[in-house]
Amino acid sequence: MHIVVCIKQILDPEIPPRNFQVDQAAKKVIPGDAALVINPFDANAIEIALQLKDRQKYCTVTALTLGGEPCGKALRHALAMGCDEAIWLKDAFFEGLDSAATAKVIARGIQKVGQIDLVLCGRQAGDWDMGQIGSLIAEELSLTCISVVSQVDVENDRLRLQREVEKGVEIVATDMPALATITSSSANQPRYATTKGIVLASRRKIPVWSAQDLGIAENLARLVVVENLTVPNYERQIQIIDGEDGPVKGTRLAQVLAAMKVLK
Amino acid sequence: MPGILTSVTIKNGSPSMSSREVLGMARRIADQTGDQVAAALVGADVSSLTPELAASGADVVYLSESEFLTEFQAKVYLKVFQDIGEVAQPHTILFPADAIGMDLAPRLAYRLGAGLVTDCVDFAIRDGRCIFIKPVYGGKALAHLRVTTPVALATVRPRTQEPFPADTRRIPERVIVAPQIESIPREATVTDRIEEEGEEVNLEDAKVVISGGRGMGSSEAFRQLKKLAKILGGAVGASRTAVDAGWMPPSHQVGQTGKIVAPDVYFAVGISGSSQHIAGMGGSKIIVAINRDPEAPILRIANLGVIEDYRNVLPALIDEFSKILKN
Repeated sequence: MHIVVCIKQILDPEIPPRNFQVDQAAKKVIPGDAALVINPFDANAIEIALQLKDRQKYCTVTALTLGGEPCGKALRHALAMGCDEAIWLKDAFFEGLDSAATAKVIARGIQKVGQIDLVLCGRQAGDWDMGQIGSLIAEELSLTCISVVSQVDVENDRLRLQREVEKGVEIVATDMPALATITSSSANQPRYATTKGIVLASRRKIPVWSAQDLGIAENLARLVVVENLTVPNYERQIQIIDGEDGPVKGTRLAQVLAAMKVLK
Repeated sequence: MPGILTSVTIKNGSPSMSSREVLGMARRIADQTGDQVAAALVGADVSSLTPELAASGADVVYLSESEFLTEFQAKVYLKVFQDIGEVAQPHTILFPADAIGMDLAPRLAYRLGAGLVTDCVDFAIRDGRCIFIKPVYGGKALAHLRVTTPVALATVRPRTQEPFPADTRRIPERVIVAPQIESIPREATVTDRIEEEGEEVNLEDAKVVISGGRGMGSSEAFRQLKKLAKILGGAVGASRTAVDAGWMPPSHQVGQTGKIVAPDVYFAVGISGSSQHIAGMGGSKIIVAINRDPEAPILRIANLGVIEDYRNVLPALIDEFSKILKN
């Protein structure tokens, strides 16, 4: 089977707010020297693909990304983890696309990869948290889309997916080809890249596909535009509950909350 | 008259709280633009909910009923929404950012050739159209987004909007849209459901949430949080590190990559306050932090703070609450 995993390199979501800066005129985030990482849900998707590869006799995993210069690193990391191939959709033409246009370009990329059985995407990216790329790619390619999936298996040539729902999980069966958006779970924590993997990945030549390679000639419409980007201030005036020891503080906290009448 | 259409999720036989919040938001937009507010009521045997939707702010209810709509199937529901859209001709379609909304909205947007903004927490009106405001970069920034297509779609984050005060005198116009769905094949079949045990209170609906983090040290320590939750009628949450450590199941994770909560009172016990956690609970009305580290970032956004090891605080806190609530 052939699996394509769509990945995105993003600013590390864990960077502290004080290191986070916005260029308000350009309506963009200034990356500065903050670390770039593979979107955590995409890393979970790579892990699921590699687990399927570990269990299947014939299975190829292709990592695919769309973006400018630093994104090559994400693809090398995916190769070092164990992906077989990597494809980089890179073109000045692709800068500043919204979700709909991004999905359109990625869908063309997947079509160019060839016959595929499964597409995996993170359920959302930890930068803009739009959470629509997976569904939009599925629509572009007329694929069945199963959202918020934590595990994938193949049984009798059908996919068996574990989908997270409000109270527990559902097991969903569907035919291939299909697309699943992946959420993190204890069963899909991304594996570490091996030293050998890192060395081999660093030597690989990664194919770069431009707009022309994908046959995209038309201007891609922006359905959503950024009007403004602001940094909110969530800071509050804190009241510290004091006392000579922990139990006294605990008792006082209960009394203060009761007096505030916020617990009904 | 074209206007704002809202999607209604039915939970335990009633419109969900998030659906009523979305109707409230639609009403507030309509107050500024003079639009009509419509609700799409889709399901099996749901017509009795029409008055409730009217009381919650709907001028018009588009009703699509069929036994084939008992269970949510994205492709089937998409067709129904497309049909309702054709009749209603809305310029704005709002969904609750719940599992159904997050699944349907992008695909409906694609089929309508419309732009979509997900996870909105606020809006502004400019030139008679909505600008949607949503947190990005884990809440470290707020983006103001404008949809350029004639129809705009948005999903609305639960517990960021007030429901419309119920007005039972409102009589809605009811439009029946017969579903044309018999021939649509099912995308997938659910072969099994495994329900998580316990937890009487749903985390996202809870008025009080008590969360533990890395500072808890063990899964056993969460028992005390459960005890406190029981007394206060609340639910137990956890930070990502506590979930990664296996102390609580992933379904309890609060944060950008977990559940988004906004209760009346949020207890952060042994949680330092990473930005991804704050993104999930920053909208809580009152935040109480119990942490032994006076430098913990959570203290910058908390209303009440106790700087102390939680082990020394919780037993007395639980005792005192038991006494207070008995009286």
